[in-house]
Amino acid sequence: MSNKEKCLIFLDGRIIGSVEDGKSFVEEVKKNRRLGILPGEINVIYIKKLNEVHINADRGRARKPYIIVENGKSKLTPELKQKLKNNEIDFNYLLRRGIIEYLDAEEEENIFAALDEDSITENTTHLEIDPVAMFGFTFNTMIFQDFNQSGRYALSANFTKQAQGLYVTNFNKRYDTRAFLLYYPQIPLVNSIAYRSLKMEKHASGQNFIVAISTYYGFNMKDALILNRAAVDRGLGRSIFYKTYSNEERRYAGRQQDKFIIPPATSENYLGEHMYTKLGEDGIVEPEVDVKEGEVIVGKISPPRFLEEQTTFGIGAERMRDNSMTLKTGEEGVVDNVMISEVTGATKIVKIRIRGNKIPEVGDKFGSRNFQKGVVTLIVPPEEMPFTKDGIVPDMLLTPLSLPSRMTFGYILEMLTAKAAALDGKIMDGTMFSKKGKERIDECGTILEQHGFEKFGNEELYDGRTGNAYKSQIFTGIAYFNRLYHMVSTKLQVRSRGPVQILTRQPTEGKQKKGGIRFEEMGRDALVGYGASMVLKDRLLEQSDKAENIWVCKDCGDIGYYDYVKNVAVCPMCSGNNLEKLEISYAFKLLLDEIKSMHIFPRIKLKSE
Amino acid sequence: MNDDENKKNSYNVVPGEPVGVIAAQSLGEPSTQMMLRVFHSAGIGSIITTRGIPRVMELVDARKTPSSPSTTIRFNEAIKKDYEQVRKIWKSLEEITLMYVIKDFEENFRAGTLTFILDKEKLEYYELTPKKIFTKISKMESLEASTEGEYKFIIKYRGKGKTIYNMRVAFNRLLSSVLFGVPGIKKATIHQDEKDKSFYIITAGSNLEELMKIEGVDKWNIYCNDPFEVLEHYGIEATRNIIANELIDIIEEEGLTVNFRHIGLIVDTMSHSGKIKGVGRHGIAGEKESVFARAAYEETVKHFINACVFGEKDFLKGVAENILLGKQVNVGTGIVTIGIKNEDLKKIKPVEIEQGKKKEE
Repeated sequence: MSNKEKCLIFLDGRIIGSVEDGKSFVEEVKKNRRLGILPGEINVIYIKKLNEVHINADRGRARKPYIIVENGKSKLTPELKQKLKNNEIDFNYLLRRGIIEYLDAEEEENIFAALDEDSITENTTHLEIDPVAMFGFTFNTMIFQDFNQSGRYALSANFTKQAQGLYVTNFNKRYDTRAFLLYYPQIPLVNSIAYRSLKMEKHASGQNFIVAISTYYGFNMKDALILNRAAVDRGLGRSIFYKTYSNEERRYAGRQQDKFIIPPATSENYLGEHMYTKLGEDGIVEPEVDVKEGEVIVGKISPPRFLEEQTTFGIGAERMRDNSMTLKTGEEGVVDNVMISEVTGATKIVKIRIRGNKIPEVGDKFGSRNFQKGVVTLIVPPEEMPFTKDGIVPDMLLTPLSLPSRMTFGYILEMLTAKAAALDGKIMDGTMFSKKGKERIDECGTILEQHGFEKFGNEELYDGRTGNAYKSQIFTGIAYFNRLYHMVSTKLQVRSRGPVQILTRQPTEGKQKKGGIRFEEMGRDALVGYGASMVLKDRLLEQSDKAENIWVCKDCGDIGYYDYVKNVAVCPMCSGNNLEKLEISYAFKLLLDEIKSMHIFPRIKLKSE
Repeated sequence: MNDDENKKNSYNVVPGEPVGVIAAQSLGEPSTQMMLRVFHSAGIGSIITTRGIPRVMELVDARKTPSSPSTTIRFNEAIKKDYEQVRKIWKSLEEITLMYVIKDFEENFRAGTLTFILDKEKLEYYELTPKKIFTKISKMESLEASTEGEYKFIIKYRGKGKTIYNMRVAFNRLLSSVLFGVPGIKKATIHQDEKDKSFYIITAGSNLEELMKIEGVDKWNIYCNDPFEVLEHYGIEATRNIIANELIDIIEEEGLTVNFRHIGLIVDTMSHSGKIKGVGRHGIAGEKESVFARAAYEETVKHFINACVFGEKDFLKGVAENILLGKQVNVGTGIVTIGIKNEDLKKIKPVEIEQGKKKEE
């Protein structure tokens, strides 16, 4: 494109005119905007490649404030800073005076912003108000972001969501379907400016663990964690699990409705007297009662599903159906509270909150703020854990190999800083870019040395089993860990015998239905490839949908049945009695039935061996 | 038996070994590691070929039109190392369409004319003259050509139905007509063998029939990566080797290795009937003997209905149908049966062995 062409001007994407020199036009607009002649909401950019000027004044642009730099000097002078501190001026004053301006994504393209005042050069056009302003609140609640791999924070945000903690302070009055509550939530020893300004310390979601980066007889390979039994017994990572069951008295046509009551023995599907022992007079379980899976917590009777058949004596007395609510499989606890209320239409509803203890056990998941997660593999008695010269036993042992490949240096720095914070008795700041790495280490080092520790956080550890000192020094510190809601007790699933599906007679699926683990297609291929035909038969027939009494007619090939009254097998197709018993998978019998429904008659021809 | 023989015997396939399943797994597992991408070799004038998983799928499914056919042409002993001769042949390979030698053109649908001006430099490079082009064009159906000056051509549409569609079809056919070179060869590059310093040409696009006719081309050393083209001119054995070769090339390019026995089994199964069959439902999988095995794979209803119409029998000899029934599968340990018949077993009479008698014998 030649220079002689005019530069087009776009306002919110529409052409409104043209100028000879786009660049100077943009400068003019910017100058007027900073002087307050033009509104501060507009953003303007000159695109050299297209020789176009874009002016944006529409809604929905994300904009961010910058300090303006002119001639290599920040417009926010020390005098202004002092005035700000003394509350003589405010942020809006700076906006009006053209010291700070808001830029949108498009105008940001052409700026040259400096991170701090020291790095301002001649070409610098803008200055960050603070490096923290580069990111959002969620990101800034973490610490030492400038020392970690950036990608890990996207994943780390998930941990914060999954963490157990003090999620609300009125948990006593709430009836959440599922909720976890940490017994002893702690404020992290190292936190950031965003963490404090969001008041997240009021809803802490973790605990400060004393950790040592050490192996333990191979038990913390890969991302496994070792916990100290003594620490767990004192309440480390211990949490409460709340689950709310709700039920209501539903209304039906014909003035019928459900009723909360201890079901009378005459009702249909009566479970037996012993099942209703935990219910109160009103048919609802009493608070502070231990309940286990399968036990009735709400007694309820419902009207019969279909209209009663007419007897010779007219319509018989209504036989109510027992429709009681039981605790689901795999759940147990104490009834925490019961709430009875009414919804519109005056139907009675009941909400029962069950409380359970979740003590950390082998298989539970923990995660740190630096996206280092792990699963507990061993809970070691305190006397077998390594200990320091002061007799401190770590709460947790982390594997050293989790650090080099993930490059989470902030993790190590957090341990060191938190250790210094614990010794000093002060919460320390870990906001990103607020200090340089060496400054931080020196600061922590002096504190550690004041209290008689090695300045880099290394300590001599003694093996709890033998009492001998380890040959090398081991880094110990304090790290903030979240207990995540993935716990074995809610996920463990095992079965040897159990319920089957009605249609296929194959084992059910899912934990709630006491199901099995699927033996899938690729696993099947692997067994075929190995030639293990007996194992294959065991998995797919014996342990699944084996049907032992399938009678097949030798004459016509149809499937018959055994008449236990006459003690003879019968073929319904040719009414013969010449049948043979087979042992096949029930799914195959079902397939044959379905083929028959397509008007195709499959015949099984038997050959004696 | 010595150690070597022992080792050799341990590699033998034992009766009942499910070689097909193992071959499928041996090719399937590395392909999960292969990158799903189209490979671009760097450098000017190189030929872009489909590689990786898309290419494997193309070969194994036996697709009729490969996405990037290519031919490697080698030459006779006489001109093998003569660059000038090879270059001369190379120059005559790439197909040149009329569109390529045109500088500017204009369509007028009202008058039904196409006007174009030839590019003088390009014509000289390909040793073409406007006269040659004119004779070639004038043969075209339903078009009437006339010249205006030396390089300006005016084409008039003389066909039936003067609609814009008809005219455009005719003009496009004219512009894409090949003036020069071998039809189907989009691009060609000369390479030199590092070992014997001989020159060879790699082309994008293939046309074995025409390439074989060129003088100096070594017919027995030509390599084309399109199995169907090879099948037409060299037969099924060559095609089998081509597919196997291509598969090995792709797998080894990613730094993986698969034993040739597995690939060999797959390509043999694909080609043993004399035609190339893909492994999908239109090929090998669709030609299984058992109704249940076919129905378990794809198009269940279709197979059952066909089986009903033709009264098919299933002898339950394969793997899939026996798994469906819950019978023991006829592979591996399941292939072993008792050789003695039931009635023969009854004939065996128990021998009473007295202690003293046994000692005498």
